[in-house]
Amino acid sequence: MTLSYSGACRNLLGLFLCGLVASTALSPTGAAGAEPVLQTEQSDTISLPSPGPHTILVEDAVYDHNKDGRVYVVDADHGRRLGMVQAAYNANVAQSPDAQHFYVAETTWAHGNRGQRDDLLVQYDPHTLAVLSDEKLPARALVTPKKNDLAINADGSRAYVYVMSPTNGVEVIDTHAHTVEQTVEVPGCALVYPWGNSGFSSLCADGTLANVSIGTDGKASLTHSAPFFVPDRDGVLEHSPGTHDGHMWFITNSGMVYPVKLGATDEIGTAWSLQQGAGMPVAPDARAPFDVAWRPGGWQLSALHASSGELYVLMHRGTFWTHKEDGTEVWVFDTNTHKRVRRIPLPAASPIVGVTQDEHPLMFTSDEAGDLHIFDARSGKLQRTMKHLGTDLIFTVAPGE
Amino acid sequence: MLPSDRADNERNGSMMDRLTENLVRRLAGHASRRGVLARLGAAMAAVPAFPLLPVTRASAATAPAGKTAKAPSPFAAHAQAKDDMACDYWRYCAIDGYLCTSCGGGIHSCPPGTAPSPTSWIGSCFNPQDGRSYLIAYRDCCGQDACDEVNCLNTDGDQPSYRPMANNDIIWCFGTGTSEMYNCSTAAIIGSTT
Repeated sequence: MTLSYSGACRNLLGLFLCGLVASTALSPTGAAGAEPVLQTEQSDTISLPSPGPHTILVEDAVYDHNKDGRVYVVDADHGRRLGMVQAAYNANVAQSPDAQHFYVAETTWAHGNRGQRDDLLVQYDPHTLAVLSDEKLPARALVTPKKNDLAINADGSRAYVYVMSPTNGVEVIDTHAHTVEQTVEVPGCALVYPWGNSGFSSLCADGTLANVSIGTDGKASLTHSAPFFVPDRDGVLEHSPGTHDGHMWFITNSGMVYPVKLGATDEIGTAWSLQQGAGMPVAPDARAPFDVAWRPGGWQLSALHASSGELYVLMHRGTFWTHKEDGTEVWVFDTNTHKRVRRIPLPAASPIVGVTQDEHPLMFTSDEAGDLHIFDARSGKLQRTMKHLGTDLIFTVAPGE
Repeated sequence: MLPSDRADNERNGSMMDRLTENLVRRLAGHASRRGVLARLGAAMAAVPAFPLLPVTRASAATAPAGKTAKAPSPFAAHAQAKDDMACDYWRYCAIDGYLCTSCGGGIHSCPPGTAPSPTSWIGSCFNPQDGRSYLIAYRDCCGQDACDEVNCLNTDGDQPSYRPMANNDIIWCFGTGTSEMYNCSTAAIIGSTT
Protein backbone atom coordinates (compact mmCIF):
# COMPACT_ATOMS: atom_id res chain seq x y z
CA MET A 1 0.00 0.00 0.00
CA THR A 2 1.15 3.40 -0.66
CA LEU A 3 -0.02 6.59 0.94
CA SER A 4 -0.30 9.83 -0.85
CA TYR A 5 1.34 12.88 0.82
CA SER A 6 -2.04 14.46 1.38
CA GLY A 7 -3.48 11.30 2.88
CA ALA A 8 -0.61 10.80 5.37
CA CYS A 9 -0.83 14.35 6.58
CA ARG A 10 -4.46 14.32 7.55
CA ASN A 11 -4.01 13.56 11.26
CA LEU A 12 -2.03 15.67 13.80
CA LEU A 13 1.00 13.40 14.17
CA GLY A 14 1.15 12.96 10.45
CA LEU A 15 1.00 16.72 9.98
CA PHE A 16 4.00 17.25 12.32
CA LEU A 17 6.09 14.54 10.65
CA CYS A 18 5.20 15.69 7.18
CA GLY A 19 6.08 19.29 8.06
CA LEU A 20 9.47 18.16 9.33
CA VAL A 21 10.12 16.20 6.15
CA ALA A 22 8.96 19.05 3.99
CA SER A 23 11.10 21.68 5.75
CA THR A 24 14.18 19.44 5.50
CA ALA A 25 13.56 18.76 1.86
CA LEU A 26 13.16 22.46 1.09
CA SER A 27 16.29 23.51 2.98
CA PRO A 28 18.99 24.57 0.50
CA THR A 29 21.66 23.08 2.72
CA GLY A 30 20.14 19.69 2.71
CA ALA A 31 19.62 17.47 5.73
CA ALA A 32 22.73 18.45 7.62
CA GLY A 33 21.69 22.07 8.19
CA ALA A 34 25.37 22.86 8.85
CA GLU A 35 25.44 26.23 7.07
CA PRO A 36 24.92 29.18 9.42
CA VAL A 37 21.89 31.38 8.95
CA LEU A 38 22.85 34.47 6.94
CA GLN A 39 23.29 37.48 9.18
CA THR A 40 21.40 40.75 8.94
CA GLU A 41 23.30 43.58 7.26
CA GLN A 42 23.80 47.29 7.74
CA SER A 43 23.88 49.55 4.69
CA ASP A 44 27.02 51.55 4.22
CA THR A 45 28.98 53.42 1.54
CA ILE A 46 32.24 52.40 -0.06
CA SER A 47 35.25 54.63 0.50
CA LEU A 48 37.90 54.54 -2.19
CA PRO A 49 41.65 54.24 -1.62
CA SER A 50 43.84 57.14 -2.68
CA PRO A 51 43.91 57.42 -6.46
CA GLY A 52 46.63 55.36 -8.08
CA PRO A 53 48.33 56.35 -11.31
CA HIS A 54 45.70 54.41 -13.26
CA THR A 55 42.67 55.83 -11.41
CA ILE A 56 41.24 58.22 -13.94
CA LEU A 57 38.31 60.60 -14.24
CA VAL A 58 36.18 60.39 -17.38
CA GLU A 59 33.72 63.14 -18.28
CA ASP A 60 30.49 62.16 -20.00
CA ALA A 61 28.82 65.25 -21.50
CA VAL A 62 25.56 63.40 -22.28
CA TYR A 63 24.81 65.82 -25.11
CA ASP A 64 21.32 64.48 -25.79
CA HIS A 65 20.17 65.63 -22.33
CA ASN A 66 22.95 67.97 -21.58
CA LYS A 67 22.03 69.11 -18.07
CA ASP A 68 22.66 65.56 -16.83
CA GLY A 69 26.40 65.34 -17.46
CA ARG A 70 28.57 63.33 -15.11
CA VAL A 71 32.13 62.40 -14.23
CA TYR A 72 33.05 58.75 -13.69
CA VAL A 73 35.88 57.50 -11.53
CA VAL A 74 37.46 54.52 -13.27
CA ASP A 75 39.99 51.89 -12.23
CA ALA A 76 41.68 51.49 -15.59
CA ASP A 77 43.75 48.48 -14.48
CA HIS A 78 40.63 46.40 -14.05
CA GLY A 79 38.21 48.27 -16.29
CA ARG A 80 35.86 48.97 -13.38
CA ARG A 81 33.77 51.99 -12.60
CA LEU A 82 34.35 53.04 -8.99
CA GLY A 83 31.82 55.83 -8.70
CA MET A 84 30.47 59.00 -10.29
CA VAL A 85 29.47 62.58 -9.56
CA GLN A 86 27.11 64.92 -11.37
CA ALA A 87 28.56 67.47 -13.79
CA ALA A 88 25.71 69.58 -15.07
CA TYR A 89 25.46 71.38 -18.36
CA ASN A 90 28.67 71.61 -20.34
CA ALA A 91 30.71 71.01 -17.23
CA ASN A 92 34.47 70.82 -16.84
CA VAL A 93 36.59 68.62 -14.64
CA ALA A 94 40.14 69.14 -13.39
CA GLN A 95 42.29 67.54 -10.72
CA SER A 96 44.82 68.96 -8.27
CA PRO A 97 48.39 67.98 -9.21
CA ASP A 98 48.64 65.69 -6.16
CA ALA A 99 45.29 64.05 -7.07
CA GLN A 100 43.99 64.76 -3.55
CA HIS A 101 41.02 66.75 -4.87
CA PHE A 102 39.17 67.12 -8.08
CA TYR A 103 36.97 69.93 -9.25
CA VAL A 104 33.84 70.17 -11.38
CA ALA A 105 32.72 73.51 -12.82
CA GLU A 106 29.05 73.25 -13.70
CA THR A 107 25.85 75.24 -14.25
CA THR A 108 22.40 74.52 -12.89
CA TRP A 109 19.00 76.21 -12.91
CA ALA A 110 16.75 76.05 -9.86
CA HIS A 111 13.86 74.47 -11.74
CA GLY A 112 15.70 72.36 -14.24
CA ASN A 113 15.50 74.50 -17.37
CA ARG A 114 14.46 77.73 -15.63
CA GLY A 115 14.74 79.68 -12.41
CA GLN A 116 17.87 80.98 -10.78
CA ARG A 117 21.08 80.08 -12.57
CA ASP A 118 24.00 78.95 -10.48
CA ASP A 119 27.52 78.62 -11.81
CA LEU A 120 29.47 76.47 -9.41
CA LEU A 121 32.95 75.19 -8.72
CA VAL A 122 32.60 72.00 -6.71
CA GLN A 123 35.53 70.47 -4.88
CA TYR A 124 35.38 66.70 -4.31
CA ASP A 125 37.08 64.30 -1.94
CA PRO A 126 38.51 61.50 -4.13
CA HIS A 127 37.93 58.89 -1.40
CA THR A 128 34.29 59.51 -0.54
CA LEU A 129 33.30 61.58 -3.60
CA ALA A 130 31.75 63.94 -1.04
CA VAL A 131 31.37 67.62 -1.85
CA LEU A 132 33.98 69.53 0.14
CA SER A 133 33.08 72.93 -1.23
CA ASP A 134 30.30 74.25 -3.43
CA GLU A 135 31.67 77.60 -4.47
CA LYS A 136 29.30 79.90 -6.30
CA LEU A 137 30.96 81.64 -9.24
CA PRO A 138 30.06 85.00 -10.80
CA ALA A 139 29.70 83.21 -14.19
CA ARG A 140 31.29 80.63 -16.44
CA ALA A 141 31.46 80.22 -20.20
CA LEU A 142 28.65 78.10 -21.62
CA VAL A 143 30.28 76.28 -24.48
CA THR A 144 30.70 72.68 -25.53
CA PRO A 145 33.31 71.89 -22.88
CA LYS A 146 36.89 72.72 -23.69
CA LYS A 147 39.37 71.18 -21.32
CA ASN A 148 41.06 74.53 -20.76
CA ASP A 149 37.89 76.28 -19.62
CA LEU A 150 38.98 75.10 -16.16
CA ALA A 151 42.56 74.74 -14.94
CA ILE A 152 44.48 74.31 -11.68
CA ASN A 153 47.81 75.95 -10.92
CA ALA A 154 50.99 73.99 -10.19
CA ASP A 155 50.57 73.72 -6.40
CA GLY A 156 46.81 73.35 -6.46
CA SER A 157 46.18 76.59 -4.57
CA ARG A 158 44.29 78.31 -7.37
CA ALA A 159 41.65 77.31 -9.87
CA TYR A 160 41.02 79.30 -13.04
CA VAL A 161 37.61 79.39 -14.71
CA TYR A 162 37.17 80.90 -18.16
CA VAL A 163 34.12 83.16 -18.51
CA MET A 164 32.42 84.59 -21.59
CA SER A 165 29.52 86.73 -20.59
CA PRO A 166 29.93 87.72 -23.42
CA THR A 167 33.22 89.53 -22.80
CA ASN A 168 36.20 87.36 -22.01
CA GLY A 169 37.78 86.88 -18.61
CA VAL A 170 39.24 84.39 -16.17
CA GLU A 171 38.01 83.97 -12.61
CA VAL A 172 40.79 83.24 -10.12
CA ILE A 173 39.63 81.09 -7.20
CA ASP A 174 41.53 80.45 -3.98
CA THR A 175 40.99 76.71 -3.47
CA HIS A 176 41.86 76.84 0.24
CA ALA A 177 39.72 79.84 1.24
CA HIS A 178 37.07 78.92 -1.36
CA THR A 179 36.74 82.49 -2.53
CA VAL A 180 36.89 84.17 -5.91
CA GLU A 181 40.00 86.36 -5.67
CA GLN A 182 39.27 88.32 -8.82
CA THR A 183 38.16 88.19 -12.43
CA VAL A 184 40.92 89.10 -14.87
CA GLU A 185 39.72 90.44 -18.21
CA VAL A 186 41.45 88.99 -21.27
CA PRO A 187 39.88 91.01 -24.11
CA GLY A 188 39.88 89.22 -27.43
CA CYS A 189 41.30 86.04 -25.91
CA ALA A 190 39.99 82.77 -24.50
CA LEU A 191 40.82 79.68 -22.42
CA VAL A 192 43.31 79.17 -19.59
CA TYR A 193 46.77 77.58 -19.86
CA PRO A 194 48.38 77.84 -16.40
CA TRP A 195 52.05 78.22 -15.73
CA GLY A 196 53.54 77.88 -12.25
CA ASN A 197 51.58 79.08 -9.26
CA SER A 198 50.67 82.61 -10.24
CA GLY A 199 50.40 82.88 -13.99
CA PHE A 200 48.28 81.79 -16.90
CA SER A 201 47.99 82.49 -20.60
CA SER A 202 45.07 82.67 -23.02
CA LEU A 203 44.98 82.25 -26.78
CA CYS A 204 43.93 85.35 -28.72
CA ALA A 205 42.05 86.06 -31.92
CA ASP A 206 45.03 87.84 -33.49
CA GLY A 207 47.38 84.85 -33.14
CA THR A 208 49.04 86.05 -29.93
CA LEU A 209 49.08 84.86 -26.34
CA ALA A 210 47.80 87.01 -23.47
CA ASN A 211 49.91 86.34 -20.38
CA VAL A 212 48.59 87.19 -16.92
CA SER A 213 50.91 87.40 -13.92
CA ILE A 214 49.37 87.69 -10.47
CA GLY A 215 51.73 89.53 -8.12
CA THR A 216 52.17 88.92 -4.41
CA ASP A 217 49.92 91.92 -3.87
CA GLY A 218 47.22 90.11 -5.83
CA LYS A 219 47.36 92.52 -8.76
CA ALA A 220 47.18 91.03 -12.24
CA SER A 221 49.37 92.35 -15.04
CA LEU A 222 48.91 91.50 -18.70
CA THR A 223 51.46 91.08 -21.49
CA HIS A 224 51.07 89.86 -25.06
CA SER A 225 53.36 87.71 -27.15
CA ALA A 226 54.06 88.58 -30.74
CA PRO A 227 51.68 86.84 -33.19
CA PHE A 228 53.02 83.35 -33.84
CA PHE A 229 50.23 81.78 -35.90
CA VAL A 230 47.71 82.96 -38.51
CA PRO A 231 44.22 82.01 -37.28
CA ASP A 232 42.55 82.41 -40.69
CA ARG A 233 44.99 80.06 -42.36
CA ASP A 234 45.93 77.59 -39.66
CA GLY A 235 44.76 78.24 -36.12
CA VAL A 236 46.16 76.41 -33.12
CA LEU A 237 43.80 73.86 -31.62
CA GLU A 238 42.38 74.41 -28.15
CA HIS A 239 43.08 70.91 -26.90
CA SER A 240 46.83 71.18 -27.19
CA PRO A 241 48.69 69.61 -24.27
CA GLY A 242 51.22 71.00 -21.83
CA THR A 243 52.72 70.75 -18.37
CA HIS A 244 52.03 72.54 -15.08
CA ASP A 245 55.13 74.66 -15.49
CA GLY A 246 53.87 76.02 -18.80
CA HIS A 247 55.57 73.97 -21.50
CA MET A 248 53.00 73.76 -24.28
CA TRP A 249 52.83 72.04 -27.61
CA PHE A 250 50.26 74.01 -29.62
CA ILE A 251 49.06 71.89 -32.55
CA THR A 252 47.43 73.55 -35.58
CA ASN A 253 44.65 72.35 -37.88
CA SER A 254 47.15 71.32 -40.54
CA GLY A 255 49.46 69.53 -38.11
CA MET A 256 52.16 72.05 -37.27
CA VAL A 257 53.39 72.01 -33.66
CA TYR A 258 54.51 75.20 -31.89
CA PRO A 259 56.54 74.47 -28.76
CA VAL A 260 56.01 77.35 -26.33
CA LYS A 261 57.27 78.04 -22.83
CA LEU A 262 54.54 80.19 -21.33
CA GLY A 263 55.40 83.08 -19.02
CA ALA A 264 55.19 86.83 -18.75
CA THR A 265 57.53 86.71 -21.74
CA ASP A 266 56.69 83.67 -23.82
CA GLU A 267 59.44 81.66 -25.45
CA ILE A 268 58.08 80.49 -28.79
CA GLY A 269 60.10 77.77 -30.48
CA THR A 270 60.37 76.80 -34.12
CA ALA A 271 57.30 75.00 -35.44
CA TRP A 272 57.62 71.42 -36.68
CA SER A 273 55.29 69.23 -38.69
CA LEU A 274 53.57 66.04 -37.52
CA GLN A 275 53.48 64.76 -41.08
CA GLN A 276 57.17 65.45 -41.68
CA GLY A 277 57.94 63.68 -38.41
CA ALA A 278 56.17 60.68 -39.92
CA GLY A 279 58.12 60.88 -43.20
CA MET A 280 55.33 62.56 -45.16
CA PRO A 281 55.02 65.96 -46.83
CA VAL A 282 53.78 68.90 -44.74
CA ALA A 283 49.97 69.06 -44.94
CA PRO A 284 48.62 72.26 -46.56
CA ASP A 285 46.62 74.88 -44.64
CA ALA A 286 43.28 76.59 -45.45
CA ARG A 287 44.62 77.89 -48.75
CA ALA A 288 44.27 74.39 -50.20
CA PRO A 289 40.99 73.20 -48.66
CA PHE A 290 40.55 70.20 -50.99
CA ASP A 291 43.90 68.54 -50.32
CA VAL A 292 43.58 65.23 -48.50
CA ALA A 293 46.26 64.31 -45.98
CA TRP A 294 46.71 62.75 -42.56
CA ARG A 295 45.61 65.46 -40.11
CA PRO A 296 45.04 65.92 -36.38
CA GLY A 297 41.40 65.95 -35.30
CA GLY A 298 38.83 65.10 -32.68
CA TRP A 299 37.96 66.68 -29.35
CA GLN A 300 40.56 65.82 -26.69
CA LEU A 301 42.78 65.23 -29.67
CA SER A 302 46.18 65.08 -28.00
CA ALA A 303 47.88 64.14 -24.75
CA LEU A 304 51.37 64.40 -23.35
CA HIS A 305 53.32 61.86 -21.34
CA ALA A 306 55.40 64.46 -19.57
CA SER A 307 58.34 62.46 -18.20
CA SER A 308 59.15 60.80 -21.55
CA GLY A 309 58.24 63.84 -23.65
CA GLU A 310 55.96 61.73 -25.83
CA LEU A 311 53.12 63.48 -27.61
CA TYR A 312 50.02 61.43 -28.50
CA VAL A 313 47.90 62.82 -31.35
CA LEU A 314 44.65 61.53 -32.89
CA MET A 315 45.02 61.45 -36.68
CA HIS A 316 42.65 60.85 -39.59
CA ARG A 317 42.78 61.27 -43.35
CA GLY A 318 40.80 64.27 -44.52
CA THR A 319 40.67 67.73 -46.03
CA PHE A 320 41.51 70.95 -44.21
CA TRP A 321 38.21 71.69 -42.42
CA THR A 322 37.99 68.28 -40.73
CA HIS A 323 39.60 69.24 -37.43
CA LYS A 324 36.75 67.75 -35.37
CA GLU A 325 36.68 64.45 -37.18
CA ASP A 326 37.38 61.43 -34.98
CA GLY A 327 40.85 59.93 -35.20
CA THR A 328 41.35 56.51 -36.72
CA GLU A 329 44.93 56.23 -35.46
CA VAL A 330 47.07 57.60 -32.66
CA TRP A 331 50.50 58.81 -33.67
CA VAL A 332 53.10 59.12 -30.92
CA PHE A 333 55.93 61.64 -31.33
CA ASP A 334 59.16 62.29 -29.52
CA THR A 335 58.96 66.03 -28.75
CA ASN A 336 62.74 66.25 -28.73
CA THR A 337 63.47 64.67 -32.11
CA HIS A 338 60.06 65.57 -33.65
CA LYS A 339 59.93 62.04 -35.07
CA ARG A 340 57.00 59.69 -34.96
CA VAL A 341 57.95 56.78 -32.72
CA ARG A 342 54.74 54.73 -32.79
CA ARG A 343 51.62 54.45 -34.90
CA ILE A 344 48.59 52.86 -33.20
CA PRO A 345 45.55 51.93 -35.32
CA LEU A 346 42.35 52.14 -33.26
CA PRO A 347 39.58 49.56 -33.05
CA ALA A 348 37.06 52.38 -33.54
CA ALA A 349 37.40 56.03 -34.54
CA SER A 350 37.79 58.13 -31.40
CA PRO A 351 37.18 61.76 -30.40
CA ILE A 352 39.63 61.49 -27.47
CA VAL A 353 43.06 60.29 -26.54
CA GLY A 354 44.38 60.32 -22.99
CA VAL A 355 47.46 58.93 -21.28
CA THR A 356 48.49 58.30 -17.66
CA GLN A 357 51.69 59.84 -16.34
CA ASP A 358 53.46 56.87 -14.72
CA GLU A 359 56.28 54.67 -15.98
CA HIS A 360 53.86 52.06 -17.29
CA PRO A 361 51.37 54.38 -18.95
CA LEU A 362 47.94 53.44 -20.20
CA MET A 363 46.32 55.12 -23.18
CA PHE A 364 42.59 55.74 -23.55
CA THR A 365 40.28 56.26 -26.49
CA SER A 366 36.47 56.16 -26.84
CA ASP A 367 33.99 55.75 -29.67
CA GLU A 368 30.44 56.59 -30.77
CA ALA A 369 28.99 53.82 -28.61
CA GLY A 370 30.44 55.36 -25.44
CA ASP A 371 32.98 52.55 -24.95
CA LEU A 372 36.28 53.28 -23.23
CA HIS A 373 39.22 51.47 -24.79
CA ILE A 374 42.27 50.95 -22.59
CA PHE A 375 45.68 50.31 -24.18
CA ASP A 376 49.22 49.69 -23.05
CA ALA A 377 50.56 53.04 -24.22
CA ARG A 378 54.08 51.73 -24.86
CA SER A 379 53.11 48.76 -27.01
CA GLY A 380 49.85 50.12 -28.37
CA LYS A 381 48.18 46.83 -27.49
CA LEU A 382 44.51 46.98 -26.53
CA GLN A 383 44.17 45.62 -22.98
CA ARG A 384 40.44 45.90 -22.37
CA THR A 385 37.29 47.72 -23.39
CA MET A 386 34.67 49.04 -20.98
CA LYS A 387 31.48 48.65 -23.01
CA HIS A 388 29.19 51.66 -22.92
CA LEU A 389 30.83 53.35 -19.98
CA GLY A 390 28.75 56.38 -20.90
CA THR A 391 27.17 58.29 -23.76
CA ASP A 392 29.56 61.05 -24.86
CA LEU A 393 32.99 60.48 -23.34
CA ILE A 394 34.83 63.74 -24.02
CA PHE A 395 37.66 64.00 -21.49
CA THR A 396 39.93 61.81 -19.43
CA VAL A 397 41.95 63.18 -16.51
CA ALA A 398 44.86 61.15 -15.11
CA PRO A 399 46.73 61.95 -11.89
CA GLY A 400 49.57 64.39 -12.45
CA GLU A 401 48.68 65.38 -15.99
CA MET B 1 32.78 80.86 -41.56
CA LEU B 2 34.65 84.07 -41.58
CA PRO B 3 34.81 85.34 -45.13
CA SER B 4 38.46 85.87 -44.43
CA ASP B 5 38.81 82.11 -44.13
CA ARG B 6 38.54 81.84 -47.85
CA ALA B 7 41.75 80.72 -49.41
CA ASP B 8 41.97 83.59 -51.81
CA ASN B 9 41.11 86.22 -49.28
CA GLU B 10 44.74 86.72 -48.43
CA ARG B 11 45.24 88.02 -51.93
CA ASN B 12 41.99 89.82 -52.53
CA GLY B 13 40.62 90.79 -49.11
CA SER B 14 38.72 94.04 -49.37
CA MET B 15 39.70 97.17 -47.55
CA MET B 16 36.33 97.11 -45.79
CA ASP B 17 37.17 93.66 -44.39
CA ARG B 18 40.47 94.84 -43.03
CA LEU B 19 39.05 98.04 -41.61
CA THR B 20 36.23 96.22 -39.88
CA GLU B 21 38.50 93.55 -38.46
CA ASN B 22 40.99 96.11 -37.21
CA LEU B 23 38.20 98.14 -35.62
CA VAL B 24 36.75 95.14 -33.81
CA ARG B 25 40.14 93.96 -32.64
CA ARG B 26 41.03 97.42 -31.36
CA LEU B 27 37.73 97.62 -29.57
CA ALA B 28 38.17 94.17 -28.04
CA GLY B 29 41.77 94.72 -27.16
CA HIS B 30 41.57 98.11 -25.52
CA ALA B 31 38.07 98.77 -24.28
CA SER B 32 36.81 97.88 -20.85
CA ARG B 33 34.08 95.27 -20.36
CA ARG B 34 31.50 98.00 -19.75
CA GLY B 35 32.72 99.94 -22.77
CA VAL B 36 32.51 96.92 -25.03
CA LEU B 37 29.02 96.10 -23.82
CA ALA B 38 27.88 99.67 -24.30
CA ARG B 39 29.21 99.76 -27.83
CA LEU B 40 27.85 96.34 -28.69
CA GLY B 41 24.50 97.32 -27.23
CA ALA B 42 24.43 100.48 -29.28
CA ALA B 43 25.40 98.57 -32.40
CA MET B 44 22.72 95.93 -31.82
CA ALA B 45 20.09 98.60 -31.20
CA ALA B 46 21.09 100.28 -34.44
CA VAL B 47 20.99 97.12 -36.54
CA PRO B 48 17.25 97.19 -37.30
CA ALA B 49 17.64 100.75 -38.58
CA PHE B 50 19.76 99.57 -41.48
CA PRO B 51 18.43 97.67 -44.46
CA LEU B 52 19.97 94.22 -44.94
CA LEU B 53 22.45 95.02 -47.61
CA PRO B 54 24.06 92.36 -49.70
CA VAL B 55 27.73 92.16 -48.97
CA THR B 56 29.99 92.27 -51.96
CA ARG B 57 33.33 90.57 -51.66
CA ALA B 58 35.87 90.38 -54.38
CA SER B 59 37.13 87.20 -52.81
CA ALA B 60 33.80 85.41 -52.54
CA ALA B 61 32.67 82.75 -54.94
CA THR B 62 30.95 84.99 -57.43
CA ALA B 63 28.60 83.69 -60.10
CA PRO B 64 29.11 85.63 -63.31
CA ALA B 65 26.03 85.83 -65.50
CA GLY B 66 25.35 82.47 -67.09
CA LYS B 67 28.10 80.68 -65.21
CA THR B 68 28.11 78.62 -62.06
CA ALA B 69 30.73 79.39 -59.45
CA LYS B 70 33.01 76.67 -58.23
CA ALA B 71 32.24 75.17 -54.83
CA PRO B 72 34.79 76.62 -52.39
CA SER B 73 35.09 73.59 -50.08
CA PRO B 74 34.62 69.81 -50.06
CA PHE B 75 31.37 70.24 -48.11
CA ALA B 76 30.05 72.71 -50.66
CA ALA B 77 30.99 70.38 -53.50
CA HIS B 78 28.65 67.71 -52.11
CA ALA B 79 25.93 69.89 -50.56
CA GLN B 80 22.28 69.66 -51.62
CA ALA B 81 19.50 72.26 -51.66
CA LYS B 82 16.35 70.19 -51.21
CA ASP B 83 16.27 68.58 -47.77
CA ASP B 84 16.76 70.87 -44.77
CA MET B 85 16.37 67.89 -42.42
CA ALA B 86 19.69 66.43 -43.63
CA CYS B 87 23.17 67.42 -42.50
CA ASP B 88 24.41 67.98 -46.05
CA TYR B 89 21.87 70.76 -46.70
CA TRP B 90 23.93 73.65 -48.06
CA ARG B 91 23.15 76.15 -45.29
CA TYR B 92 24.53 73.75 -42.69
CA CYS B 93 28.14 74.03 -43.86
CA ALA B 94 29.29 74.94 -40.36
CA ILE B 95 26.39 73.95 -38.11
CA ASP B 96 27.01 72.09 -34.87
CA GLY B 97 24.02 70.67 -33.03
CA TYR B 98 20.42 69.62 -33.45
CA LEU B 99 18.53 70.84 -36.51
CA CYS B 100 15.53 72.95 -35.49
CA THR B 101 13.82 71.70 -38.66
CA SER B 102 13.68 68.30 -36.93
CA CYS B 103 12.63 69.67 -33.54
CA GLY B 104 9.36 71.42 -34.33
CA GLY B 105 10.93 74.59 -35.68
CA GLY B 106 12.14 75.61 -39.12
CA ILE B 107 15.22 76.72 -40.98
CA HIS B 108 14.95 80.17 -39.35
CA SER B 109 12.24 79.42 -36.74
CA CYS B 110 12.47 78.15 -33.21
CA PRO B 111 10.25 75.35 -31.88
CA PRO B 112 7.46 76.40 -29.52
CA GLY B 113 8.65 76.75 -25.95
CA THR B 114 12.02 78.15 -27.00
CA ALA B 115 13.31 81.59 -27.97
CA PRO B 116 15.76 82.60 -30.71
CA SER B 117 19.03 84.13 -29.68
CA PRO B 118 19.58 87.74 -30.74
CA THR B 119 23.28 86.91 -31.05
CA SER B 120 24.96 84.30 -33.20
CA TRP B 121 28.06 83.52 -35.10
CA ILE B 122 28.16 83.96 -38.84
CA GLY B 123 29.12 81.39 -41.43
CA SER B 124 29.40 81.62 -45.19
CA CYS B 125 27.88 78.78 -47.20
CA PHE B 126 27.70 78.03 -50.92
CA ASN B 127 24.30 77.35 -52.47
CA PRO B 128 24.69 74.81 -55.30
CA GLN B 129 21.34 75.83 -56.76
CA ASP B 130 22.27 79.40 -57.68
CA GLY B 131 26.05 79.23 -57.39
CA ARG B 132 26.18 82.01 -54.81
CA SER B 133 27.58 82.14 -51.31
CA TYR B 134 25.45 83.50 -48.49
CA LEU B 135 26.10 84.74 -44.98
CA ILE B 136 24.35 82.44 -42.54
CA ALA B 137 23.54 83.33 -38.92
CA TYR B 138 23.55 80.18 -36.81
CA ARG B 139 21.11 81.37 -34.17
CA ASP B 140 20.41 78.97 -31.34
CA CYS B 141 16.95 78.35 -29.91
CA CYS B 142 17.06 78.45 -26.15
CA GLY B 143 15.14 77.66 -22.98
CA GLN B 144 14.72 73.86 -23.20
CA ASP B 145 17.33 71.14 -22.94
CA ALA B 146 18.77 69.47 -26.05
CA CYS B 147 16.20 68.59 -28.71
CA ASP B 148 18.00 65.32 -29.45
CA GLU B 149 16.74 64.78 -32.97
CA VAL B 150 18.90 65.16 -36.11
CA ASN B 151 22.40 66.03 -34.93
CA CYS B 152 24.99 67.51 -37.32
CA LEU B 153 28.59 68.58 -37.00
CA ASN B 154 29.94 70.50 -39.99
CA THR B 155 33.05 72.60 -39.70
CA ASP B 156 33.63 74.70 -42.82
CA GLY B 157 35.45 77.74 -41.46
CA ASP B 158 34.88 76.76 -37.83
CA GLN B 159 37.60 78.27 -35.67
CA PRO B 160 38.48 77.83 -31.99
CA SER B 161 36.66 79.73 -29.26
CA TYR B 162 39.37 82.41 -29.18
CA ARG B 163 37.65 83.47 -32.41
CA PRO B 164 34.08 83.41 -31.06
CA MET B 165 32.63 85.03 -34.16
CA ALA B 166 33.64 81.89 -36.07
CA ASN B 167 33.18 79.18 -33.44
CA ASN B 168 30.31 76.71 -33.48
CA ASP B 169 30.78 75.38 -29.92
CA ILE B 170 29.63 78.44 -28.00
CA ILE B 171 26.07 78.36 -26.63
CA TRP B 172 24.65 81.37 -28.44
CA CYS B 173 21.81 82.03 -25.97
CA PHE B 174 22.94 85.40 -24.63
CA GLY B 175 20.05 87.75 -24.00
CA THR B 176 17.20 85.39 -24.86
CA GLY B 177 15.28 86.07 -21.64
CA THR B 178 15.26 82.31 -21.06
CA SER B 179 17.72 80.13 -19.29
CA GLU B 180 20.75 79.93 -21.54
CA MET B 181 19.94 76.30 -22.22
CA TYR B 182 20.46 75.13 -25.80
CA ASN B 183 17.69 73.33 -27.66
CA CYS B 184 18.52 73.44 -31.38
CA SER B 185 20.16 75.44 -34.18
CA THR B 186 18.72 77.49 -37.04
CA ALA B 187 20.49 78.74 -40.16
CA ALA B 188 19.05 82.07 -41.29
CA ILE B 189 20.25 83.86 -44.40
CA ILE B 190 21.35 87.36 -43.50
CA GLY B 191 22.99 88.40 -46.74
CA SER B 192 24.59 87.34 -49.98
CA THR B 193 28.31 87.50 -50.55
CA THR B 194 27.79 87.91 -54.28
